[in-house]
Amino acid sequence: MAATSFPPPTPSLSVLSALSTLRRGEERLSGTFDHAFDPADNPWRHLGALAFLCLVVAVASGAIAYALYDTSVSGAYQSGLRLQNDPTMLGRLLRGLHRYSADALALLTVLHLLREAVRGHYRGVRWFSWLTGAPLVWLLWIAGLTGLWLLWDSRALYSVTATAELLQALPLAPDLLARNVLTADALNDRFFSLIMFIHIGVPLFLLAAMWVHVQRLSRPRLWPPRSLAIGCLVTLSLLSIAMPAESLGPADTGHVSASQSIDWFYQFPHPLADIASATAAWLLAFAFTALVIALAVLPRMRRSSAKGNVSLPVAQVNLANCNGCSRCAVDCPFGAVEMIARTDQRRHPRQASVIADLCAGCGICAGACPSSTPFRRIEDMVSGIEMPGASIASLREELKRGLASLDGPDRVVVFACRNAADHAALRNTSTLLMRLECAAMLPPSFIEFAGRLGATGTVIAGCREGDCEYRLGDQWVQQRLSGAHEPHLRAVVSRDRLHVIWSGQDIAQVQAAVASLRGGMSGKSSNQASDKGTERVTHSSEAHHD
Amino acid sequence: MADSAKLPTPLRYLLQLLAYAAFAAVIGFFSAKPAYRQLADNEAVVKLSFSHSAQLRQPCRERSAEELAKLAPNMRSKQDCPRERSRVAVELDMDGKSLYRIDTPPSGLHDDGAATVYRRLAIPAGPHRFRARLADGPDGKFNYHHEADVDLAPGQVLIVDFLSGSGGFVFTHGR
Ligand code: HEM
Ligand code: SF4
Ligand code: SF4
Repeated sequence: MAATSFPPPTPSLSVLSALSTLRRGEERLSGTFDHAFDPADNPWRHLGALAFLCLVVAVASGAIAYALYDTSVSGAYQSGLRLQNDPTMLGRLLRGLHRYSADALALLTVLHLLREAVRGHYRGVRWFSWLTGAPLVWLLWIAGLTGLWLLWDSRALYSVTATAELLQALPLAPDLLARNVLTADALNDRFFSLIMFIHIGVPLFLLAAMWVHVQRLSRPRLWPPRSLAIGCLVTLSLLSIAMPAESLGPADTGHVSASQSIDWFYQFPHPLADIASATAAWLLAFAFTALVIALAVLPRMRRSSAKGNVSLPVAQVNLANCNGCSRCAVDCPFGAVEMIARTDQRRHPRQASVIADLCAGCGICAGACPSSTPFRRIEDMVSGIEMPGASIASLREELKRGLASLDGPDRVVVFACRNAADHAALRNTSTLLMRLECAAMLPPSFIEFAGRLGATGTVIAGCREGDCEYRLGDQWVQQRLSGAHEPHLRAVVSRDRLHVIWSGQDIAQVQAAVASLRGGMSGKSSNQASDKGTERVTHSSEAHHD
Repeated sequence: MADSAKLPTPLRYLLQLLAYAAFAAVIGFFSAKPAYRQLADNEAVVKLSFSHSAQLRQPCRERSAEELAKLAPNMRSKQDCPRERSRVAVELDMDGKSLYRIDTPPSGLHDDGAATVYRRLAIPAGPHRFRARLADGPDGKFNYHHEADVDLAPGQVLIVDFLSGSGGFVFTHGR
């Protein structure tokens, strides 16, 4: 076993165990959505992408609204009314889409942050995505808050005043700000233009910051699957019509309503500052930001301070076995493999090279490399790219030894992702458990090899579909087995004897798959446990080595 | 995903509909509700707000001939005028009782800027007698006074401003 198990991706085991309970709850929640949605379209697994969609909707609808708005103090309120009273309902739709997509964006961002936090995605190679997420929260808040001011209704006046009171608590001597909106005469077009400038500039900056946010991801899922995008747009549109986002009464500096309607997604700091204090509200906000930053930065500082250095496993390229095909670079979920000019004398123009800082240690590249095949002379058994501590040779050895030690006629091998669950309970005298860092670390040729060595059935078990800890693992496994993506599983390999289970923590599903393979040994095959994994391969052109 | 666990398709669509409806409900609701109670029904608001440059802390003084001689030639101005301004003290009383008082320093790196104050105070609605006093001199004595009877309806705002150009305190209130 030792050969394929890595040290955990963080030095801190206690953090891991604290997270695991939350993590299990998160997966269960995610799983409940699978009852309604296709696993690949599960909205819980596309929170970032849904947030991005809402950001784009907000920017697009805002651009149209801007064209229709009179941006002076006196004209702004009237513009809002004109749109909401437009008999064609288009104005209402426009205002609703702008407002509700912004609200949805706030909600989705918070959920996205929580989900990434629970999944521990502030550490390891994700630190960059995590850290660049922190300013997005502030930008988003500023954009939303100032947007609500532009309507210049009673809620806007309330919020500008309350924000001025908030700023007063900061040591910037901004008591003057409140004076800008103290009386109707004090408010001038210049102040209004400033707000407009912020409200347009910050979201554009947010879009640019988003681009940075996903820089370190290969194939970032910026857009949700089409069905989800349509569902989301239709929902927001219907909401806009059914529950118009309307202006309240005009801003009146001489009057304060006892009961103030507020947009809780962006204006929640106002009541907070009232109930606690403005200082407490800021402290809370800064503490939250500091925590977000610390989560990403502290583990890195600890690691770089040499002592107690637990180096993470990083993929290693073996030039003698690399033909420069670039499959590893294509499949790496974190863009950690570069294709560079050859540094040795071989005739291939390019070679793989790993950027250690970006490598998550998932081993997906090893599963992609054409030289990761067990059908080679034992002395050549080094792949073009592989994980130290979990080399192709050791994987082959472990498989060979493990299968030889099994009893009985029905010998099943389970290749299980160690991030999905602890599959130890599956191990018995006729079941071999092979743990991998990611299911996609398995080169498909190993399935054929296991059959040659006497395995009568194979199960591949991983995180839930669309929920891969390494982002793209399930996608590559399915595409490699169906022949849609290199390296393929050869057509001669019986798909009836292969089950692919995206079961996450639900080990019972894997057990059922093993049992069904056993039940099917003597008679017909039973495929109940898997759909995509048992698809027939339509073409096969497996290249075993360079 | 195990196929056997899949619900019938119509039921899945129904659940999707529910999920979208729940999403819309959360967004629609919290975008305007619940209303925040910032005042009790029978309360009005006083906003005390001003930005005022107080008197200089020390009066200008003629420099003596020896003093002038000691200074660099380009600095030899006859008068010595320290830039520091005095603190500003304000007391606002309502119906004979103190409502708010503040003693605030000037702004600026050299204490030469305006003293700025903004405070929002909730008070019971109804008729009140307000009395405001302000001290902006080096002696700290109240040199500005203003008194007014104002009947404030619930939610009505009384703004207590101080504009030295207009002779001192200015009380304004909405309807
Ligand atoms: C405007 C707000 C945000 C938007 C629109 C957004 C959007 C996205 C998108 C589209 C992805 C790519 C998902 C993928 O390809 O797997 C992503 C990844 C990520 N986001 Fe955000 N994000 C936002 C804010 C945040 C915040 C506030 C945090 C946390 C502090 C955060 C943490 C992350 C992390 C850790 C990843 C990497 C996930 C992975 O590697 O699997 N994001 N985000
Ligand atoms: S192990 Fe390979 S695929 Fe995974 S992050 Fe590192 S280089 Fe990329
Ligand atoms: S997949 Fe293997 S052979 Fe192809 S470029 Fe990567 S290391 Fe080289």
